[in-house]
Amino acid sequence: MNYIESMITDGLAFGLPLFIMALGGIFSEKSGVTNLAVEGFQGFGAFVGAFLATVLSLKTPLGSQIILYLAIAAAFLGGALYASLHALLCIRFDADQVISGVVINILGVALTTFLTSQINGFLFGNASNKFILDSSFRFSVPLLSNIPILGAVFRNIYPFEILILILGLYFWYLMYKTRFGMHLRASGENPHALDSAGGNVRRTRFLSVMLSGGLSGIGGMCIAYSLLLQYSPSIYLGYGYLAIAAMIFGNWNIVPTFFVCIFFGLARAGGYQLCLFMKLSSRYTDLFMTIPYILTLVLLVFFSKRSHPPRAAGQPYDKGER
Amino acid sequence: MSLKGTDTRPDESVIVELRHITKRFPGIVANDDVTISVKKGEIYALLGENGAGKSTLMSMLYGMYEPDHGEIYVRGKKMHFRSPAEAAEENIGMVHQHFRLVENFTVGENIVLGVETVKRVGIFPVLSMKGAYDRIRELSKSFGLEVDPEDLISELGVSARQRVEIMKMLYREAEILIFDEPTAILTPQEVEALLKIMEELRRSGKTIILITHKIEEIRKVADRCAILRRGKLIDVLKVQDASTQEMANLMVGRNVVLNAEKPAPHFGETVLEVEKLCVRNEDRVQVVRGVSLKVRAGEIFAVAGVSGNGQTELADAIAGLRKAESGSIRLMGKDISRESIRERNGSGISYIPEDRQKYGLFLDFNLRSNLCLRRYFKAPFSRQGILNEAEAERYARDLVEKYDIRSGQGTETQVRSMSGGNQQKAIVGREIEEHSPLVIFVQPTRGLDMGAIENIHRQILRERERGAAILLISLELDEVMELADTIGVIYNGQLLKTADAGSLTSHEVGRYMMGVSG
Repeated sequence: MNYIESMITDGLAFGLPLFIMALGGIFSEKSGVTNLAVEGFQGFGAFVGAFLATVLSLKTPLGSQIILYLAIAAAFLGGALYASLHALLCIRFDADQVISGVVINILGVALTTFLTSQINGFLFGNASNKFILDSSFRFSVPLLSNIPILGAVFRNIYPFEILILILGLYFWYLMYKTRFGMHLRASGENPHALDSAGGNVRRTRFLSVMLSGGLSGIGGMCIAYSLLLQYSPSIYLGYGYLAIAAMIFGNWNIVPTFFVCIFFGLARAGGYQLCLFMKLSSRYTDLFMTIPYILTLVLLVFFSKRSHPPRAAGQPYDKGER
Repeated sequence: MSLKGTDTRPDESVIVELRHITKRFPGIVANDDVTISVKKGEIYALLGENGAGKSTLMSMLYGMYEPDHGEIYVRGKKMHFRSPAEAAEENIGMVHQHFRLVENFTVGENIVLGVETVKRVGIFPVLSMKGAYDRIRELSKSFGLEVDPEDLISELGVSARQRVEIMKMLYREAEILIFDEPTAILTPQEVEALLKIMEELRRSGKTIILITHKIEEIRKVADRCAILRRGKLIDVLKVQDASTQEMANLMVGRNVVLNAEKPAPHFGETVLEVEKLCVRNEDRVQVVRGVSLKVRAGEIFAVAGVSGNGQTELADAIAGLRKAESGSIRLMGKDISRESIRERNGSGISYIPEDRQKYGLFLDFNLRSNLCLRRYFKAPFSRQGILNEAEAERYARDLVEKYDIRSGQGTETQVRSMSGGNQQKAIVGREIEEHSPLVIFVQPTRGLDMGAIENIHRQILRERERGAAILLISLELDEVMELADTIGVIYNGQLLKTADAGSLTSHEVGRYMMGVSG
């Protein structure tokens, strides 16, 4: 497999999990709740999923593929559950949403690291801070994958990539074609409009933030399965923040954000392949891995002025305010 | 004839009855034992100054607040509204003073929000907008309300947005329509169009409650008028039997001078000369495009225009809050366009900003500090960088007395806790006390009640007598007509028409404000 093809395959395997996290960010922010907590959500979701996977593979005869799907479902629930803390702080108690997001992230790292070693101590008598995951199975689409270069899109696909595409489609439908989506977008732009039209701003926002956590959790789980092959504190590498950046470049719209995420994925994988191509020692890979972050900085310069965040994002909803 | 609204006999034609409503907020009684009854198919006006409790009273009918005491009857049935949604079920609708529209939604989406129709496509519920859009077009025709459901709200002007709000009520089949200060932001032509719409609605059997402090429009459309003052119902009048003066007196509680006497002008030298001024806003859009104007000593030059036509940026550029892109600003012959704000102040500008809370005051500082803002850095208020509080206190007391600034704890009062009228008096007092050759007033009476407006207008005229050049920027056409010696109408960043105030009628000015020249 040549460098370009590897870049495409690896780029998608990273870009799609990034997209599902960014989608989570969009759901929260479009409803009017600023979400810096994507990082914490994805880590916590992945923790719950990895915990379930470890227990299942230890105690049941289930195959690793079934376990993968169950773990992803658990990551969704775990992320949503953890996100309800952010929702509670921001919506019920009108906390500052930026501070709440940061607190959620810090708490997530500490809590999951502590719990992982406690659980490992209990299960294996060894207080390691990792859950080792079975490597995910991958597949290729016959014929299509034989096309030169672009065939790489259809080669060595993780099953979760397909799942993310389906979810992306479904959540796009939810955002733009349903009553819930309409209320969600209204409560992020002008909650007073929704309230006086008979909608429920707080409930809409709460649900949106929980969905946000669930989607981010799936993203974290996928990263754990593909990039890390384990669950460990290294899940908190900042991909959640990268997803937020992608959401901003995508102007809080789902389709552009999708392309930004794929672009980030390709950039990251491209940097790695470039490093291999130039036959540089592995000491330099870390340097090349900074490419997505440098890109973020550069893009921020160009996009910041033109970005239009949801008008009411960051403001607690106060009925009486006129 | 005066009908005290205490009649509680059952009456077929009565659709809304509020009995003995009392509502308290921390520190104030917003409504004190108010009883009114509104008949089906009439336009019922609620007249009162700001803070008289009109909006609060209607907010209770609309379910936004619950009364502390008293009862609400709709069509003879006792109601306990806990939310606007519950009031909407009784066919009550309200157009708020600040529109409740989602900017990036279409007109149609805004109208159906909350009452969407959903159809099924396979297993998926999908919003169905087409039927809704058709119904909106139909309603639009039958009520003469021009709205296109496919327009984006962000592309609409205020009067179109207001029509969308009205359409929202009609789409929900509201029978009782509450309008909260609907004309505050409209041009005279738009006001007339709105009043026509109201009459059209009345003709089709709707009941309208009109909250306003403008007696003129009550005279034009309302059948009856309840007058509130400091939360109490003062009287209910039949509009055709009452005079404007009578209503004004009842509203304010004393004899009001409806039109301030304006002495003949004595113009002096040119004080401010702006030439071909261009200014860009934050989005780099040129919003002031080649404005030239001259203001002489003793002259009130009023810039009239609909909000958002560059008048704020024009004032900011002269005061130094915003950089001019090109053109010149000369104050008594000296080019000040490169001077800092403090240098300009020193050269002789006093500035009463549009947003008094954001640019006029430090809300969390006390009144004394706020009154000394123009002087604290100079002797005797400070020496070698050390403030002289005693001097500041003496000066602040002087101003409080001279300008009748009322507050809870004198000069120690935190400005945030003061009423809007007194906050504005403090700013006006502070700025006028500098005796600058040029005084810029931007929307000086925005949000103030009649008494406070009278006071500010008197101050402006006094400054004119003193010989100051006054640049007045106002969205209130009445204010412009009342005070101006010269009127410049700004439209789309350009002065479309500059003329002697005496040579223009308010209708002509209104037309220029809409961009119609000639």
